[in-house]
Amino acid sequence: MFYLVVQNYQLNNTQNLKKGFFISDINSEQSVFTITLPTFSFSKIIPTNIFSFSGTDVTQSNPRFRMILWSIIAGTRGGINRAKILNLIKETPMNANKIATVLNLDHKTVIHHVKILAKNELVEKAEKDYGAEYYLTQIMKNNQSVLEEIMSKIGPK
Amino acid sequence: MLIDFMLGAVVSALLNITLLLVVIATYVQNMRVIRSYYTSGLVLVTVLLMIQNIVIVLFWSTLYMDDKALMMSADMVSHYLFAINVIQTIGLSVLVWITRR
Repeated sequence: MFYLVVQNYQLNNTQNLKKGFFISDINSEQSVFTITLPTFSFSKIIPTNIFSFSGTDVTQSNPRFRMILWSIIAGTRGGINRAKILNLIKETPMNANKIATVLNLDHKTVIHHVKILAKNELVEKAEKDYGAEYYLTQIMKNNQSVLEEIMSKIGPK
Repeated sequence: MLIDFMLGAVVSALLNITLLLVVIATYVQNMRVIRSYYTSGLVLVTVLLMIQNIVIVLFWSTLYMDDKALMMSADMVSHYLFAINVIQTIGLSVLVWITRR
């Protein structure tokens, strides 16, 4: 218990830190006593730097999202191309045709990759019929450090 | 109807090996580009699963075939092994589908 509290304090994660239980007296509208319990979460019990895959600072990124991004990129066929697409459109949204020409890929391949990425809520399609651009979703933008970490592992190729 | 659960388990184990080969091929291709704990961990886990299935096939082809007493006692619990392997085959088919999508 003590360890849990100390970990929570160190991670400086103030939201959802503790769950409170209290019994209140209806007549006096005052709480009789309060018990606060730390919520159970693996990411809080185990320090996040154990799971760090490299030396980069990843404490700001969501550990669950990290796992999802790693598995989509490192655990699937063509995942490296998916990482390249994400890296390409992170600054300027592009349509599928432009992605294909820049990365020297087949147009159909890009469409397939983008579809999978959209299903996993990493990219979003602009509401246009012709030449719709793809851009990163908010959760992907918030966790760009994970993508940078993976891209640094891929190297210059 | 008499079903040879041991043979069924071995067929399932061979299926598992082929499915694992597909997964390992993809993971190794990725590991060659991205060298990290994650990619090497994926390869390690799948290789260990593969060893498990190879051991089942080896057990069936050597010990089980040679020893009549062992064959009889193994047949008594072979439906458990069959169930375990079929569940693993279903799980690995899902993994292959996710990986090759």
